[in-house]
Order: sequence, then structure tokens, then C-alpha cells
Amino acid sequence: MKRIRALIWWFRNQELARKLIIINFILIVLPLCVMGYFAFSRFAATLEKKVGDYQLQTMKQLTLHLDTYMSELDRLTLMPYQYEPIIAFLESNREQGQPLTLEEIKQLNAFVSQVFLNGRIDIMGVSLFGERGASYVVLPESQYVTTYRLDENAGWLKNEQIRYGQSIFIPTHDIASTSGTVYPVFSVARELRSFDSGKKLGYIVIDVDPKVIHRILSQVTLGSRESLYLADRTGGTVVGKDGSAPLRDAASLPGEEEPEGVTHAMADGERLLVAHVTSPVTNWMTVGVVPVSELMKDTILIRNSIMLLGILCVGLAMMMCVFLAFRITQPLRGLIKLMRKVERGDLMVSFPVKQWDEIGHLGKAFNTMVSKLSELGYLLYETEIREKDAQIAALQSKINPHFLYNTLGSISMYAEVEGNREVVKMTNHLSRLLRYSLSGRKERVSLASELEHVKGYMAIQQMRYEDRIDFSLEHDEASLACAVIPLIIQPIVENAINHGIDKGTGNGMIRLACRIDQGALLIVVEDDGIGMTEEQLNEIRTRLRHAKDVGGRSGNGLLNVHRRIVLHFGESYGLTLASMPYRGLKVTMALPALTDKHYLEGGSQHA
Amino acid sequence: MKNGCWSKRIVICALIGLLTAATTGCSSGEETAADDKPPGGRERSAAVRLEYWTPFSGGDNQFMTEMVNRFNRENPDIEVVQVNARLDDYYSRLRTAILSGNAPELAILHQTSLPQFVQNGYIEKLEEPARQVGLDWSGFNANILDSTVYDGEHYAVPLDTHTLVMYYNKSYLRAAGVLDGAERPIVGQGAADFEAFLGKLKAAVPADVAPMAQPSTRIDAVWLWWSLYNQMKGGGAFYNEDASEAVFDNPQALQALRFVHGLYKSRLIPPDINDAFKLFYDGKAAVLITGVWGTGAFEKAENLDFGVVSMPVLYDHPAVWGDSHTLAIPTKHTLTEEQKRAALTFMKWCAEHGAMWAEAGHVPSMTSVVKSEPFTSLNYRSEYAASANYVAYWPRHVRQWSIVEVLIQEFEKLNYGQQTPEQALANAVKRVGNELRK
Repeated sequence: MKRIRALIWWFRNQELARKLIIINFILIVLPLCVMGYFAFSRFAATLEKKVGDYQLQTMKQLTLHLDTYMSELDRLTLMPYQYEPIIAFLESNREQGQPLTLEEIKQLNAFVSQVFLNGRIDIMGVSLFGERGASYVVLPESQYVTTYRLDENAGWLKNEQIRYGQSIFIPTHDIASTSGTVYPVFSVARELRSFDSGKKLGYIVIDVDPKVIHRILSQVTLGSRESLYLADRTGGTVVGKDGSAPLRDAASLPGEEEPEGVTHAMADGERLLVAHVTSPVTNWMTVGVVPVSELMKDTILIRNSIMLLGILCVGLAMMMCVFLAFRITQPLRGLIKLMRKVERGDLMVSFPVKQWDEIGHLGKAFNTMVSKLSELGYLLYETEIREKDAQIAALQSKINPHFLYNTLGSISMYAEVEGNREVVKMTNHLSRLLRYSLSGRKERVSLASELEHVKGYMAIQQMRYEDRIDFSLEHDEASLACAVIPLIIQPIVENAINHGIDKGTGNGMIRLACRIDQGALLIVVEDDGIGMTEEQLNEIRTRLRHAKDVGGRSGNGLLNVHRRIVLHFGESYGLTLASMPYRGLKVTMALPALTDKHYLEGGSQHA
Repeated sequence: MKNGCWSKRIVICALIGLLTAATTGCSSGEETAADDKPPGGRERSAAVRLEYWTPFSGGDNQFMTEMVNRFNRENPDIEVVQVNARLDDYYSRLRTAILSGNAPELAILHQTSLPQFVQNGYIEKLEEPARQVGLDWSGFNANILDSTVYDGEHYAVPLDTHTLVMYYNKSYLRAAGVLDGAERPIVGQGAADFEAFLGKLKAAVPADVAPMAQPSTRIDAVWLWWSLYNQMKGGGAFYNEDASEAVFDNPQALQALRFVHGLYKSRLIPPDINDAFKLFYDGKAAVLITGVWGTGAFEKAENLDFGVVSMPVLYDHPAVWGDSHTLAIPTKHTLTEEQKRAALTFMKWCAEHGAMWAEAGHVPSMTSVVKSEPFTSLNYRSEYAASANYVAYWPRHVRQWSIVEVLIQEFEKLNYGQQTPEQALANAVKRVGNELRK
């Protein structure tokens, strides 16, 4: 159980492609193996049975064929009954080696010739043995012999069948011709009896060349390692086909009660299929032995080809499977790679969407996400640059504030001592002005402090311009609490002085108004200077709308302020200009009316 | 994922398809595999098969079997299957086979029985196939070759000459004092000396040993008679000129027959001998006059110290019964040119390997073989090789074989004391005359 859980756990953590491959492997190989195994084992079993039946049929045919020949031989042994002189010869009383008369020689020779000619050419010898000593034996390549005696101990004499006058077939044994050549023969023997007396007269034995059986056997092929032979009941081999080794274990052959059948035997650790049929004529068994492996050779070939094909197919399928798994998961892996890049901060990536499946959608979403992310990043980046720029600009204009403070402090002290109120006032204003613009690192300030700063600034400017400038400030009480970006009003006012007063003649009027209108904080700076032509106005408006140039040294104060507002609060806020030539310029600054205290503080954290 | 599922299914379908294709393919392949395996040896099935009938007995069969086996080994494209039969039934079988169209492709024929097979075209003319296999007729012993030519046509390839020779058991001859320093028998000159020679042997050998062994039945006595008859001046006549009458009822023939009969009567040849060959083989005979085919067999006999000389000349000039084994092709309508050529190839091979056949005892038919080292190096054979030059063949007659049968029967009666030599000759001439008039 634990192991299974571990296996499932292991599987769960595999790569998607590997999971797909494992699943496909199991889906393909398992059914294939099970199917293959069952199909093949059924097939093999059926084939073995069929082959066994076929072999038995072959044995039957073979036995039938042999029996035709054997019956002929059997009939030949009946011939003495048709030849009176032969019966008389067998009945006669004789000494061993007693010479034959010319008449007898002729009759016996004629009889034997008849046997030879009526039989087949395969007859090698004919022997006649009388009960009372008569003997006439013709062996191959020899003249007849009268001295041979029947071997009383011959096994076939003890066979019961011979008592009933039936012929008996004797398995292959050797006979020697008078010139010494030894011939293997099998024999058919019969006891001859007198009809009148009912007594035994003697025996006729016909020796036959086993070649004839051999020839018949050699026309039957069971397999390349077959063993095909005739055996008698005692297990003696009559004749076998070339290279046929009879079963050593005769016990594995069934007994007499089973005249035919198919059995299995073991030899040298090999399973053998043994088919046997007993001939009713000779009582010999035709035995065919073939190693099962020999019969199953084709089956094994089939098995091997099935296996080979199976492996080939599975291999192909697995290759396809691997290919597909990787093909399917490849976009995912691409996505992962892209995400890693994004993780490392590279936002200049894009997922190529080629198809509109889940991955396509995922890729598209990823692309959108990355583009959003990069846009946000850019905005943040620009904001910070603008901030820095403003500060740097302030710094550049007022280097070393402490020195300035101190100097201003000294000037103020001297003026105090001298009693010059104007100088003291101006110096103090300047000091505050500097402190505000340099020390304030806040992201947000309240409009009140921003207005204080502008007032200080204007006080100095008024002193500078010796009251050529009129400055009026109107504001709602509510608007004072609003959060604004620091140093956004002063540049506008400065711009108004530059454009309205410096370039104009006589007194100038600068009006600053702050109010909240429909959730927006509107800060309006008006002058009564020379104003702008329509073209000039349009050019500035276009620049406000489109220019994103933040690093411009010659940064127009208006543009700078506008971009800062847009970056902080979005496109819906910023500056709007209105002007007519010689009627002055009206700059309206729109900001969200944010009064939240938290926002004021949070803003500082953001920096 | 959806795509993966589908492709998987396609793959499985393809696999199942392939599997079924493979199994059906294999099962059909099985059938063809069973077909292309012919029964029996594959090599041999392509060979030209020739059935070859032989009538050998008395030991020479094993030499022929050896030759056939060697020929088959050396000529894988021809398979000669030898079938040996008893000489007693051989010609009867062969005649039946030829008449019933079941003749073998090759058969041994004795020169004596050639005429009956030449008649009616029972055997093939060999000129054309011999030319095709390059058989050179001039290489044969002229005496032997002539006996196979009829009307200028070759009908058979002579394999050998076999004549009567005299085998003797050296131990018995030595004991009787009739063996000279060269271990040759001291036979003397003429019929009387020969009788005396046997007489000495009879006195010296144990009672169960035959001074001379010769069966009382069958052809042996006829051969001996024919040899002696031909040794006489004015002897050897069998038929009159137009072969309408037998003419061997004459003084010379009678003299020869009387001599042969005398040997039996005086028990120099013991009675009731059936297998003289076996007697000599077993060391139970001092002298045996039989065909040369005994040499090979006797050489194999243990404890037999024997010698062989050509047939002694008892009368006026050398002559000896002889015959030749010849190879012929029985006519058969199914016989192919290819088989004829193969048969000639075998014949040529046998004649050229006459030295092998000579091991059985025969004198090879090719002069080059007789002179060759393999033959001359054999013991005994050169003793009687010259016999081939004075062979007394039976006269050519289509029924010669059955006419000799008549002689055998009459001589058997003589041997069994049923008639006198005069009666035997007279009866034989009468019966032969009847045969001729048939």
C-alpha cells in the first residue's frame, strides 16, 4: 500500500511528457502482451494436437501400405499347400545332410523359384523345415543347404499365433550367406500342418530384404529430426528409416490394449511426440517419433515474428508517443522558459501563439500579462526619472543648500542688526523656499504646504520686481487638505512670471486659484501677459499630449509638470492651456482631489 | 491532450492491423514451407535414377555393390539402384519385365544370352549414346568386344571375361606332394595325368575332403565338358552351319563327357555335392574348377591357403569355357535420352574401373585396364588373365541359354547315374534339335 502510494506520488511528480509516455506505454504494451500470449498459447496447443492427429493418420496410411505388401508375403507362405511334392518332402524322414535326389532337387528348386518369382524381388531366402529332419534352405548368393536345422529356441516358435496356423512376422535379424556376407532380413514364418492327420508338418520361413519397408518409410517425412520405424511387441526394431533411432525407453510405448494412439515421451530432456499404429497383419507397430520442438519449429517462427513485429510496432508507437508527448508539451516548456526570463526581469519576451488550443489561450494571456507588466514597469520608471530630474534641477540651481542657508542666515542677521526689514524678510523667504524644495523628499504634500511655498516664492519675486507683480491667491478651505505632488505649482507660476511679466510691460497680474470641482482639484494659474498665438498654443498642447521625453534638459516647466501629473494620476489629469494673444495665459492643472491622510503617508513610502 | 489521445488510438489500430497481418501471413507461409520440402534427400531427387539388375552370386555381388556405391558418390547427378537376383530366376524375371514394360534401365547380360535380347530389339543399340558420352570401343579386348557386336552394331558394353580356372588348396596339394616349388600344382600333361593328380590327392586328403569339388547338379559339369571338348582337335562343334541341327554327338564330345563322368564315377568328385564353392571355401576340397569369380571371395576366407591357375590343358590345345558380363539397356518406351546417356556413363565408368571389378576375380574387358597397375598389382588375377584370349564362348544362338539348360538337365541325369554318357549326348542332341525346330 505504501509502495503504491509512493509510486503514485512518484508518478504525480513526473514531467507531463513523461507521464504521457508512461500512460501510453502501459496502454499499448499491456493489452498487446496479454493478447499475444493468449493467442499464441491457444494456437500452439491447437497446432500440437492437429500435428499429432496428422501424424497418427500418416502412421495409419503407412501401416496400411505396408500391410498390403505384408499380406502378399503372408500368402506366399501358403504356397507349400499347393505343392504336393513339398508337403511330401516335409513329411519325409531324413538324416541330417542326407543328399537329395535329382527329382527332389528339381521340385524344391522349382518351388523356391516360384516363391521368388511370385513374390517380389526383395525375397532373400526361403527355408523349409520338416518335422522329421527335412531341411531345405536357400540363402542369398548361395546354393541350397540341407544341413540347417530350425533353432528350437527361436522366439517366434513360442508365439501362440503360430499354433493356429497363422503366419508370424519376425523382426529384422541377420542371415549369413555361405560366402560369409551378412544380410539383414525380416522373415515371415508359418507352421504347416497336414489336413488329414491334423499334425504339424514343419515350417516355411521366407526372408525378406527390409529395404522394401525402408523404401516405403523413406517416402514419409514427418520432420527433419523424425524417427520412423517398425517395432515388434517386444520393442525389437524391424526396420527404421535412415537415421531413425528407436525410442530407448520402450516402456513409454503403450501396451497391446491400445493398438493406436498419440503419446508423449521424454528423451534427452526433449519432449517427443510419439504416434503409433499396430498392424493387424504383422502385429508390428509403426512408430513415428518427432521432437515436439521440431513440430513447433514453425510455431516458434510465428512466435518470433509476432514478437518481432510486436516489438517493432511498440517501438514505433513508443517513438510516436514520445514525439507526440514532447510535441504537445513543448509549448508548455517554452512558456516555462519565457516565464523564467520574465522572472529574471526580461520583459522583452513574447510567446508565439500558433494554435488556438488551451496553450494558445494561455500564451495569449501570458503575452498580455507581460505587455501589461512591461508598461507598468515603464511608467514607474518614467515617474522616478521625472522625480529625480526635478530634484536634480532644484539641486543644480541651488547648490549646497546648507551653505546657502548659513549665508542667508548671516545676511538675515546682518540685516536685522542694520534694521533692514526688507532684507530680513527676503532672506527668510528665500531660506524657506530653499528648504522646501530641497529638503522635501516626499512623494506627496498637502496643497497647503505647496501654496505656502508658492507664497514664499511670490514674496521674493514681488520684492525683486518691486511690486510690479500683483499676486492673488484664492482657495477653498477643503482644497487645502488635498494631496498634491510637490513643486508642481511653483514652475507654473514661474512660467507665468517669465511669460506674463518679463515679456510684458508694466505691471503684471498673476492669479492662482485652487478649488475642488466634481472630485477634481483644479489649480488655475492666470497671468495677463502677452499670451500666445493659436499656433504656439497648439504646439505646446501637442507636446503635452505626446512628448514622453523626460530627459530633456531644456525641459519646459509646463511639460515636466504635466508628465509628472500624468504619470502619477493617469491620462485624465494634467495641464490644460487657454490663451489669447495679449490677453495672458491660463494654465489649469487638474489633479484628483485626494485628501486621504493615509494616501499622503503611503505616498512617501512609495518613494 | 486531445490530439495525443487520437494518435494513440491510431497507433493501436495500426498495431492490431499489423498483428493480424503478421499472423495470417505466417500461417500462409507455413503451407508453402511444407510444400517446398520434397520427400527423401533433396540432392538425390534431381538425379537421374537408374534401376540396375544384376544376377551375381558367389561373392562377386559385394564387389558390384561397392562399385555402384562409389559411382553414386562420384556422380551425384546419377543414382544407380542395384537390384540383385538369383541367377536361377534372373533371366526369367528380366524377360517378363521387358515384355511387361517394367524393364530396368540397366541390366547385366551374359554374352551367351545376348542374342535372345538382341532379337526383336529387346535391348537398345548403343552407338549413339556411346558417342555422346565419349566411349571408345577400341579400348576393349577385341575377343570380348566382338561378342557384343551384332550386324555391325554395338548392343552391350562388355564388363569382363570370366572363364573356368582351377583353384587349389595348397595345404592339401603340399600334403599329397603335388605342389611344386613355385607353389603351383604338378598336373602333368593330358587327361590321364590329371586323373593321376587327383588320385594322389584322394589318397592324401582326409575322407571328408573332396579331391575335386564339383556339384552334381547345375551347369558346372557342362562347363567342364565344353572346355575339354574345345581343347580337342576337331572338337568344339555345336551346331551345323545353318544352326538347324545340333552336332555335338561326336567322338570328341563323347570322350570329353566320358572323362568328366569318369571323375564322378571314380569318386574323385564326390557325389551329391550341392555347393562346391562353399566346400572349397570351408577347406573341404583340394581342387575346384569354377569361374574366376571365386578369387575375390576366397581371398576373404580365413584359414584358406589357396592358389589359382588357368584351366589345365588336358588335350590338344588350350581352350576354356568362358563368358562375359555385359551391360545393356533393356528397351522400354518410357526410357529417356537422358537415362540412356546416364546408363552409358555408368557403363563407361564400370569398364574404366575394371580393376575394381577385377577384385572379384574377373578379367577386365579393357586392355588398358589389364595392363594397368591397379590390376597387375592384384594377386592371382594375372595367373589367368591370358585365358581371355582363348575363351571358348557358346555359339551365338538366340536360344543358346535354354539349349544349355537342356544340356544341364541331361548331364544331371548322367551324374545321378540315370543314363550313360552316350545316352546323355544322344538325348541332348535330340532335345536340342527339337528346340531348334520349335
